[in-house]
Amino acid sequence: MTAALSVFISRIGYTKVGDHWDKSLSEIAFQASKVLLKEEASPPDAIIIANALSELSSSQGNLAAIVADALDLKGVPAYRVEAAGGSGGSAINLGVNLIKGGQMESVLVMGVEKMRDLDPAKVMQAQGLSENADYSQFFGISIAAMNALLARMYMHEYDVTREKLSAFPVVAHKNSSTAEHAQFRKKFTNEEVSRSEAVADPLRVLDCAPVGDGAACALLVSEDKLSSEQRKSAVEVLATESSSNLVNFFERPKMLHFGATEVAAQKALKKAHLSMEEIDFLELHDSYSELTAISLESMGLSKQGEACNDAAAGRFDLNGQFPISTFGGMKGRGYPVGAAGVYQICEAFMQLTERSGFNQVPNARFGLVQSMSGIDSSAYVHVLGFAGRTGRN
Amino acid sequence: MLGNKCEKCQAEFFPPVNICRACKSIDLKPLEMPGAGKILSYTLQKESVAGFEEQEPMVFGLVELSNGVRLVAQIVDFPYESLKIGSKVKAVFRRVKADGPSGQIYYGYKFGPPRSPRETSATEE
Ligand SMILES: [Zn+2]
Repeated sequence: MTAALSVFISRIGYTKVGDHWDKSLSEIAFQASKVLLKEEASPPDAIIIANALSELSSSQGNLAAIVADALDLKGVPAYRVEAAGGSGGSAINLGVNLIKGGQMESVLVMGVEKMRDLDPAKVMQAQGLSENADYSQFFGISIAAMNALLARMYMHEYDVTREKLSAFPVVAHKNSSTAEHAQFRKKFTNEEVSRSEAVADPLRVLDCAPVGDGAACALLVSEDKLSSEQRKSAVEVLATESSSNLVNFFERPKMLHFGATEVAAQKALKKAHLSMEEIDFLELHDSYSELTAISLESMGLSKQGEACNDAAAGRFDLNGQFPISTFGGMKGRGYPVGAAGVYQICEAFMQLTERSGFNQVPNARFGLVQSMSGIDSSAYVHVLGFAGRTGRN
Repeated sequence: MLGNKCEKCQAEFFPPVNICRACKSIDLKPLEMPGAGKILSYTLQKESVAGFEEQEPMVFGLVELSNGVRLVAQIVDFPYESLKIGSKVKAVFRRVKADGPSGQIYYGYKFGPPRSPRETSATEE
């Protein structure tokens, strides 16, 4: 067997997450990619749009061609991936595999979402589309309430107090307070989180990621496409893996364990020939506080029921053993649903190329990115490394 | 609450499945789920989903039925403060929502206290 083709991220682009009232989906995508596309000598071999909700938010389907057209990519094959909050992670996974399969040499993955025009009840409806239409959505339960059911079970099972759960939003907001592209650049104390407005008891508004508008893109290229000079500033995708799970978390034998996340992480680490101990930071799908705790425990970074204690002890801070959500994650940077997984990739790229300013993790060589759709119904895990520091090139 | 049961290994499912999750058999027969269950988790939903604004706030529970099958349902006629993990509940048939202009009314199961005075009523009208 010949050595598998290596895939690199050569460039990234993104907008600030927040309100882009005056811009359409296409215009936000253009803002995120205009510098990248202008400076590239040739267009990518394909473009994959990651978006979850354009039909509902903007009455816009056919998004692949719509965005490709707006980016002046006539002639370039265009695809759109929808996997709820995991759309971005899914698109990266597919883009890398297209290149590894030898079909393409370069793929532009563009995550774009626009949510802020919708009224709150529509936002709740849109976010709930990830759950079963006949047996969850039909009864009017929101995705926040689904997460609340999981959170209460988690807290009950492991005797975790409300205050302990607040450790994760505190960490996320500490990181987003210094992130220029973040939607919420504000720190919160544990008490402020615990006493913030109830959304779905026991979850508070500061447990729930705020939806935002935004676009982020990453240019994936095969190693043959990079000059030795370009390679010095590129990040290698050491592995990208995905797994799916029963969609209804309450049908799973182990409800407080994320099987898709566990499997995708184990496979990705194995393919990257790394152990979790060698990972320098993680970008997590932390859209609700208990998702962060259960994800960390499912990947073996904390013992069952201990993630909140570990967070309170500083284990996941920027200067801790395993920094997470280094620019604030979904919670602090903001949650442009289908684009979120591409923002994570951009942030990991910035960490690995030491462009993270106040948010820089020292000597970051390897990063792990986890995105998911719904409540671990699908998980996507990518392991990234910087060619200049991995000691492998 | 119509689920199904595997003819081969007797596993019971709700929602009904096409393929038995336990033994992969596709030989499944419809089965009415038991109405009795207990609360494994619960929440008070304060921000409504579009179409349910008039019912705000809604209580939802994760219910384990007496046959071990778990589902999520709205909890009614149960004071939120007295709801606990382990509380016994029973299925009731209720109006779920009414669509605006078309006037279409949807019915479905919800869960209430075991001896709800309204457990036998078919509608809320
Ligand atoms: Zn069976």
